[in-house]
Amino acid sequence: MPYTCPVCGYKDLPSPPRDYEICPSCGTEFEYHDARRGHAELRERWVQNGAIWHSRVVNRPVGWNPWLQLLRAGLGFSVPRLFVDMRLQSGPMILLNKVDGARDLENLVELSC
Amino acid sequence: MLKPYVCVACEKIILAKDNVASLINLFSKIIVAVPTNSPDIPRNAVAPKEWAIFSSWDTELGDELKDYEFCTQIFYPDGTPFGEPGKVRIPIDPGKRAQVTVQIPAFPIGQTGLYTVKTWIEEGQTKVFGPIGFGIELAVVQQDRAQ
Repeated sequence: MPYTCPVCGYKDLPSPPRDYEICPSCGTEFEYHDARRGHAELRERWVQNGAIWHSRVVNRPVGWNPWLQLLRAGLGFSVPRLFVDMRLQSGPMILLNKVDGARDLENLVELSC
Repeated sequence: MLKPYVCVACEKIILAKDNVASLINLFSKIIVAVPTNSPDIPRNAVAPKEWAIFSSWDTELGDELKDYEFCTQIFYPDGTPFGEPGKVRIPIDPGKRAQVTVQIPAFPIGQTGLYTVKTWIEEGQTKVFGPIGFGIELAVVQQDRAQ
C-alpha cells in the first residue's frame, strides 16, 4: 500500500514516511530532515525553490505537476498565488475530431449530446 | 458494452438523492485575466479552481457484471499531459444509464490555446472503448487592476 508524503503530497511512497525513507518528489529524508524542521517549513522551502522533482532514480510520473499534487493532498494553501481572474464561458462543444490539433488521437468517436 | 451518451466539463455537479445530476455552468472556454505588464505565467502554473468532467453511458444487459473504469487525461495545447491519468470505477445498475464524475482541483493555465480532455474506458487494465473527448480553449487577456 503506497503512502503519502506529508511534505509535498506525493502519494506513492513505497514505505511509511519514517526510517530515512526519501521522498522522490521533494527529497525529504524522514527522521533526518524533519527531525529539526516541521513539515510545513520543509514544504515552504521546496515551494520556494520551484517545487522541482527531486529524484534522479525514480522517474517523474508522466504529467506530474507539483501544484496539482499539493492541491490533491489538501495542501493547496502552499500553492503560490497568481493574480489572475478566471472566467468560464459556455459555447459550442469542441469535439476532438473536429480539431486540427487532435488528429494524432486515434479512434476518435463523435459524441452525440 | 457501454456507449457514450454525454461527456462534458462543468464547474460543479449536484447529485440529487435519486442520483439525477445537475450540471452547473458547462464550459468550453476559459478566459484568464492577468494584470497589465505582469510577468509571464509559469509553464506549470495552475489556477486552483475546482471543476469536473461528467460523463454518462448507455448500458446493456450484463454490463453490471463488468468492472469498467472511466479514464481521463488532460493535455496541454502542445500535446504534453497535465497530471497523471485519472481512473474511476463506473457504478452500473442493470437497465439504467451509468454516470461518472471526475473532480479536478485546478486548471492548468501555463499555455494558451486548445486543451484536450481525452477519456476512455478500461476493463481489467485493457482499453475497451475510446478514446473520445473534447477541447477547452484557454485565452489570456491583460487588464488593468482597477477593472
